Amino acid sequence: MGTARYIARRLIFSACLILGVSVILFAMINAIGNPIEILLAERPGMTDEVIESVSRYYGLDGSVTDRYFTWLWAILRFDFGTSIIYNQPVSEMLVTYGLETLKIQIPAILIALVVSVLISVMAATRQYSRLDFGVIAGAMLGHSLPGFFIGILLILVFSYWLGILPSYGAYSTRNMLMNSTLIDGLWHMVLPVGMLVFFNTATLTLLMRSSLVEVLRQDFITAARASGLPERRVVFGHALRNAFIPVLTYLGILFGVMLGTAPVTETVFTWPGLGALYIMAIQQLDYPLIMGETMIITFMLVGATLLTDIAYVAIDPRIRLA
Amino acid sequence: MSALLEVDSLSKRYPVTRRGLFRARQYSEIRAVHNVSFRIEAGETLGLVGESGCGKTTTARAILNLVEPSEGVVRFQGRDIVPLFKENDRTKVLQVRRSLQYVFQDPWLSLNPRWTIGETLKEPLRVHRPEAPETWGARVEELLRMVGLEPHHAWRYPHEFSGGQRQRVGIARALAIEPRLLILDEPVSSLDVSVRAQILNLLVELQDRLGLTYLYISHDLSSVRFISTHVAVMYLGKLVEIGQVDALFTRPRHHYTRALLSAIPMPQPGAANTRIVLQGEVPSALRRPSGCPFHPRCAAALPVCAEREPLLTAAAGDDHRMACHNPT
Repeated sequence: MGTARYIARRLIFSACLILGVSVILFAMINAIGNPIEILLAERPGMTDEVIESVSRYYGLDGSVTDRYFTWLWAILRFDFGTSIIYNQPVSEMLVTYGLETLKIQIPAILIALVVSVLISVMAATRQYSRLDFGVIAGAMLGHSLPGFFIGILLILVFSYWLGILPSYGAYSTRNMLMNSTLIDGLWHMVLPVGMLVFFNTATLTLLMRSSLVEVLRQDFITAARASGLPERRVVFGHALRNAFIPVLTYLGILFGVMLGTAPVTETVFTWPGLGALYIMAIQQLDYPLIMGETMIITFMLVGATLLTDIAYVAIDPRIRLA
Repeated sequence: MSALLEVDSLSKRYPVTRRGLFRARQYSEIRAVHNVSFRIEAGETLGLVGESGCGKTTTARAILNLVEPSEGVVRFQGRDIVPLFKENDRTKVLQVRRSLQYVFQDPWLSLNPRWTIGETLKEPLRVHRPEAPETWGARVEELLRMVGLEPHHAWRYPHEFSGGQRQRVGIARALAIEPRLLILDEPVSSLDVSVRAQILNLLVELQDRLGLTYLYISHDLSSVRFISTHVAVMYLGKLVEIGQVDALFTRPRHHYTRALLSAIPMPQPGAANTRIVLQGEVPSALRRPSGCPFHPRCAAALPVCAEREPLLTAAAGDDHRMACHNPT
């Protein structure tokens, strides 16, 4: 009962949040100025009549509130208009590019999660050993180095020196590797995913190790040992689940970080994803694309936070009461 | 007849290191437990008392190998169990674990917050009775009744219980696999005074019913007197006096024991209370005094006390022993 109400409350809160973002976004875009004037007014041969008719064509002649509600109604139907530069429906572009982004980000998060669990268990169960200090130092380094630096380093080693992995793009334009779209796609994914795994693992390991160390000191762990439970089950059965709460919080944040760093990752590897698209949209002042993508990122972020909140309830019985 | 549990010259030392640029260098050590010897016969309760940090808990944990003892012998039913843990022979270790169980001081920390009480109670059964999972449910119910809880509590989480109830769960968990000896590490000191008596009564009742032997650790002397048959007093990792509870409470021989006993609050207001107030603080375990560790604070210290460490010797009969050059 309490759980259903909790989720309902979170859902309503999320909807309000998205609505709020849409208002702010619209107001800010509006503040940039009339796109017709910015895009066309300086061109030679523009008459007021032409500008007026174009304005009417794009629906820019109404009041701000009219335009906002027209736009809001449209995006609720997943209609983000047509990209000015690419002349394609924005919704289609968002799906195509979005899938490319998820294609490297989701595997990277999953791999990083598994790797960091293993590393932090090794380090935390041997606290203050050389291995532990090594792990802390390595994780600190990985966490502090900017992602693009690792990316460039990877390209230098694996593409330039060794020449075994492609340095850019999601697919080969000619001559697919082993004549298979799948293998060729995976082959292109290795470097971008590798860079993200490196970055994510470092941060997750830092968090998980310290969280584990703290949990492993507690009495219920000693109690489990005193009952004769094998150490492996003490760590994986008792400690890990308790150590996971801060990590779960971070996973929610990581989803946001992922969208925030996507422009960098995708620029380094020329990856046709949302991040690269966002940069291009902003550089070319493609209004519908900027607004559509901002809204999609908002949806994804709010969705991820919502999922994190619900996952808390599943993982920690104490939160159910709150 | 040999004692159920016999501890002989048990020590636990921790190295104190200073981390250099490349390697840690040991420059000293802390003797958390120093040459502790005692025995507990089946059915008895030995109360282990002393101030915070004197090594009571470390002694208890070293017996169970939850911290590895540095030296010494721990004989359970006549067999030295320290090598069993070193060899890590799983069947033999489990045999020992089955007979020796531990109840923790803080019932807020000793239960896994993510597990229901039922799951927590089932865990020892899962380890020790893996062959009969169909019996676990009934056993959990039986255990909950035994400690005065209800069977439906098995589906609750620790945060839904009060401190006293949690401690009952902690006791039930320790009893799950029918141990012979329970180590009770300050089981009531984190509870309200009103709840303490209930838990102590429960412990006495369980001891009668199940024929248990207790090692009861506490700094609360009133509860020690209530529950124990024998008492051992520790100071700075060392056993200073041990004896039957009445003999030790009425006629303490060691000056530290005397000071400790004089600090027990009297239930009658205005009762004559000649309190012996010790001077100074307990010395750091890093800078252990020479000779008798208590001599810097002892009113009856002789010159020899600073030179030679007194050994635990018979004071009155074989049962009452103390380590003092100049007993009262």
